[in-house]
Amino acid sequence: MPARADAGYRLHRLLAVLTWLARQGRAPVAELAERFGIGPDELIADLELAACCGLPPYTPDQLMEIMVDEEEVVANLGPELARPRRLTAAEGFALATAARAIEAVPGADPDGSLARGLDKLEAVLGDRDRLRIDLGEPPHLAELRRAVEAHEQIELGYYSVSSDEESVRVVDPLSVVALDGRWYLDGYCHRAGDRRRFRVDRVLSVRPTGAAAPGPPPGALAGEVADHRAGEVGEAAFVPGPDAVVARVAVDDTGLWLTDAAPTLGVEPLPDGRTVVRLAVASTVWFDRLLLRLGPHGEVLDPPELADSGRRAAQRLLARYRPPAAGGS
Amino acid sequence: MVDRLERLTDLVLVLLRDDRPKPLREIAAEVPGYPAEGEARRQAFERDKRTLRDGGVEVSAVPIEGREQVGYLIRPEDFYLPDLDLAPDEQAALNLAVAGVHLGDPSGRDALWRLGLPATAGVQPFADLAALPALPVLYDAVRRRATVTFDYRGDTRHVAPALLRFRGGWWYLVGFDLDKEASRTFRVDRMDGAATVGSPGSAVMPDDFDPGASLPEEPWRMGEEEVVRVDVLVDRGLAPLVVAEVGDSTVHDRRHDGAVVVRLEVTNIAALRSWVLELGEHAEVLAPDSVRADMIAWLEATAGRSSSPVAG
Repeated sequence: MPARADAGYRLHRLLAVLTWLARQGRAPVAELAERFGIGPDELIADLELAACCGLPPYTPDQLMEIMVDEEEVVANLGPELARPRRLTAAEGFALATAARAIEAVPGADPDGSLARGLDKLEAVLGDRDRLRIDLGEPPHLAELRRAVEAHEQIELGYYSVSSDEESVRVVDPLSVVALDGRWYLDGYCHRAGDRRRFRVDRVLSVRPTGAAAPGPPPGALAGEVADHRAGEVGEAAFVPGPDAVVARVAVDDTGLWLTDAAPTLGVEPLPDGRTVVRLAVASTVWFDRLLLRLGPHGEVLDPPELADSGRRAAQRLLARYRPPAAGGS
Repeated sequence: MVDRLERLTDLVLVLLRDDRPKPLREIAAEVPGYPAEGEARRQAFERDKRTLRDGGVEVSAVPIEGREQVGYLIRPEDFYLPDLDLAPDEQAALNLAVAGVHLGDPSGRDALWRLGLPATAGVQPFADLAALPALPVLYDAVRRRATVTFDYRGDTRHVAPALLRFRGGWWYLVGFDLDKEASRTFRVDRMDGAATVGSPGSAVMPDDFDPGASLPEEPWRMGEEEVVRVDVLVDRGLAPLVVAEVGDSTVHDRRHDGAVVVRLEVTNIAALRSWVLELGEHAEVLAPDSVRADMIAWLEATAGRSSSPVAG
């Protein structure tokens, strides 16, 4: 939020405050300020200004009836201001998407309140059932969500692509979130002695240990998860850690899907028509498989120690397909 | 000097009050804070109108009798929603949904503000769906049954849009392609530039068109090749994850060492190859011979950097 909000945003916010006040009648200044993300002084200034607004001839009986002191706001604004206002296309989309996303998760709307609210909303917005959100439902999702809510420590069977290993570890689960179409478990991993992020679709087994997991420190989680893209350690392999090597891979048009499939640091054209994609490589196993999928449509330019990765990975895999006697031809 | 916020607030109240369009002269007489007259007054008013529109408040210009010829008003239907009549638990659930689902912009919060249900803070995030600027426009078109026209992979497409769908991290528009006269699915992030939206009701599609049926679940079904049944052997370690992904019904054989053979119906061999290779050395195409040979040729081309052509 900008420090000095522009007039359009201030009007939008003021109308929202007035709508709320028209419904509530009165509200403590501190509560209003928190709800609308505004400093108390700024809120009071805006409301004092609003108390001078109204209709011509701007005599006291034509002005908005708002009384403000340091503690509380009391307002008598009439029914018009209390009415819900029309949503912009972006707002209607955002609201429907949020509701549909929650609805898509089994057990997330147990008493149907959200479904009923969404139904009323979509009836007003227009056509129904024009938006479908599918967040996926990997096998252990429900168990993990339950463990988070119950603060249960779990023993997690997990397949890690970056090390190509199965492991069993004790984890204090903190949250389960869907990021860009995949579910992740965030938790404290006792094996690593640190916070880790796990892909739920790679969880092999979940078993409660019987111990309680300490919950997150109060109020801490919202902020922590909010900056999840900023470099939380984990399995997502999307965040370049300090050990990551930057590779440059040249791809032809057929190989351009690479920019969708991997976190790219940059893209530039080559004179021969191909495109150079810069990638952070934290795991050679992961990189090998990417190169296998690119096949003849990709070529590693840098660094030299990775230049042969794709070739060697293909040779290893060919050994599976060809009888040993015929191998190496 | 009148604060601009005060002028804007009065302007909204005045333009909403009656359904008679008012000329600018009258508005400026009723709303304090406009320059005395002439071009400066006109510019200030135009700027206010833009600000209101950016904030979702539409000021309509209507022809009127008299010297100024144009009058302005805010139509109640452009400003208010019909009352949603939400019960307290429904309000709370919508609040939680917006707080828990992040779209990368404040539109959800703004929506709650306009509905008079300001959000509660401190809710644990639940999902993050990358929002794209094109989505609200497409959603609006879907809801109003308006045709959309956009550039996609070098072609201009004319589509009767039926559904927006989020799946596997991507947004798709599902619709009836009016030129190809067939159901098509488009990745929204691959549309070039902004979509042009037709008039409401302009999108007509066949009665039996089922948008839900047109987005296949698996990448190897997203193609138009003849259906081929492909057997893939997956080693013990990854077998449970793969079976969870493709479903029990595809398991063709369970071997005593814990490996499984899944039999997949494939209409896109390139996508299948990519999926198998993502499993690294833990998976192998067994049959049919043609698909196995295709895989070997691909690996040989990769291993030897041979110049023998392989279909992409």
